[in-house]
Amino acid sequence: MLNFRSIKEYLFVVVVGILSFLMLFPLFHIIYSVIVLGLPVIISDGPRFFTGTLSQGGIGPAIIGSFMLAFLSALIGLPVAFLVGVFAYEYPDRKLGIFVKMLLQVMQEFPTILVGVFVMSILVIPMGSYSALAGALALSIIMIPYVAVYTEEAMHGIPYTYREASFSLALTRAKTLFKILVPMAKKGILTGVLIGVAKVAGETAPLLFTAGGLYESYPQGAGGPVGAIPLLIYTLVQSPNPNDHAMAWGASLVLLLIFIGVFVPLRMSLKEVKF
Amino acid sequence: MQLAVLRCNSGLVGMNRKNTPNSLHRSVSRIRDFSSKLRHIDSFELLTLPAVIFVLILFSYMLIIYFYMSIPIFKWEGLGIYLKNVWDASEIPNDEYYGLLAAIWGSFYTSIIAALIALPLAISYTIFIHDFAPLKLKNLLIVLSDMMAGLPTIIYGLWGAFFLVPFLKIWVMEPLYTYLSFIPVFSYPPNTGYSYLSAGVLLSIMITPFASAIIREAYSSIPFTYREAAYSLGLTRYESTKIIFGLIRPAVISGTLLAFGRAIGETVAVSLVIGNTFNLSASLFAPGYTISSLIANQFGNASIYGHMTSALFAGGLALFLIGLVINIGGIMYLRRWKRNVKL
Repeated sequence: MLNFRSIKEYLFVVVVGILSFLMLFPLFHIIYSVIVLGLPVIISDGPRFFTGTLSQGGIGPAIIGSFMLAFLSALIGLPVAFLVGVFAYEYPDRKLGIFVKMLLQVMQEFPTILVGVFVMSILVIPMGSYSALAGALALSIIMIPYVAVYTEEAMHGIPYTYREASFSLALTRAKTLFKILVPMAKKGILTGVLIGVAKVAGETAPLLFTAGGLYESYPQGAGGPVGAIPLLIYTLVQSPNPNDHAMAWGASLVLLLIFIGVFVPLRMSLKEVKF
Repeated sequence: MQLAVLRCNSGLVGMNRKNTPNSLHRSVSRIRDFSSKLRHIDSFELLTLPAVIFVLILFSYMLIIYFYMSIPIFKWEGLGIYLKNVWDASEIPNDEYYGLLAAIWGSFYTSIIAALIALPLAISYTIFIHDFAPLKLKNLLIVLSDMMAGLPTIIYGLWGAFFLVPFLKIWVMEPLYTYLSFIPVFSYPPNTGYSYLSAGVLLSIMITPFASAIIREAYSSIPFTYREAAYSLGLTRYESTKIIFGLIRPAVISGTLLAFGRAIGETVAVSLVIGNTFNLSASLFAPGYTISSLIANQFGNASIYGHMTSALFAGGLALFLIGLVINIGGIMYLRRWKRNVKL
């Protein structure tokens, strides 16, 4: 005889199963539609899709721009992020240390559009033009908290005895941290670096008012405007022309492949990847 | 060190012969103080503090810029900027008037829809991964949800604009409007499909994996003996799961709060599906605006007008403060729970 409790139990299992499927379903549909709509565009354009300018039916400048922005933002953001992460690890009980840890966590969740508007008002307006530098600064502000938090967590994994051993050999605090503990946490820190770079490579909002967008020619240098794949997709989606939409799907396939290319190896080496 | 002080000392005397013994003594002791302080700052802090100070300055500078840039609009129309729903952009600065109420409403409305949808999905997914899925599948499911959390938001936006909006329009909005339009929330005719509902559903898809990750961490921290104890009392799976969720309720709440904070700041994906209309409506099918999509759409040409830039900065300031309060609240709550719970 089915009583009320076992009906409830049965319903529970069914509902959990259905809702879990519903949660994952969009991911499959997104990947499926990006491939189905993006692949024909890339195939019909051939190698020109990766090298040509927008009017030739290619996204070459955007790809180069994305790599340039990722590289420049890493150049600005990583040293700062690394040092801040080590500081937060070293002083978990000091007031400044607690505050910095909190600030990093808040910055991780910070609306990215605000960073873009901020960089526009401090860099783009004084300089008088959009530039790769401004885009990279905005991206590095987003990257810093991710890399710093990962650095801090990676350092936490090292047993305390190593620090004691190092101090007992009369090494200074700086030497203990940078010569002994950081090399031990190398893998975790590198993972954090990759996650930070992968995160900013997919960002659109901070670039809206900073990078400018350049799709008809290749970028000339860090001082000039530059395009990016996510920014290009955003511009193309808003156009009424169906050809532009097709290009947007092609570009998002490239973006998806870059993302998976970074994400999967990362995930192999780590138990959990937090974005 | 003594020698160094002495050398400084003699140097000072040589430079300034008019020094009286009293002021000389003072300057020597000052130098001695400084050099002893210098010895106490170790090289680790010398290396890391500049970076920490840089980040602190950057963040406070950001807050200052948002305050400073919104001053003109507060002078122009006072708190009306947050309390009215008007958007009169005019070439003549005296005719301009801006009110952000529609955008603030839209931000909260869409994020609340998103959080309400995301919460049951995230909880179910956690239970499914943890209790139902076989071990091999478990790892894959975690990989997939991590991947979903990190997928570039513009891809969500593209997919939302071309698949989600038409799907919701045909299968959800039109039937509900046809049969239930006497209920106020369903009363707006879904002409385009770009609406609060579309934005809320898209946001919920984006934030569910994030909320699920926080809940999962707390859920797996509960020892298995608790569940065994529940089973030994003859409880069903549903009942024992309910008990465990009672234990981790603070983590669920803060996970939802943090996910809400993430939803409220999302920009490009939302601006592609919300319809971008100054609309103040409780109807789910009406198009609207959010603060971030308003900034994304209008900031580029705001400098043509006299007060629009400042008005948008005031919107940014509101978003800044809302984000700050929600995120600090969520993080503190989670941290307090982690500290207090002893398992």
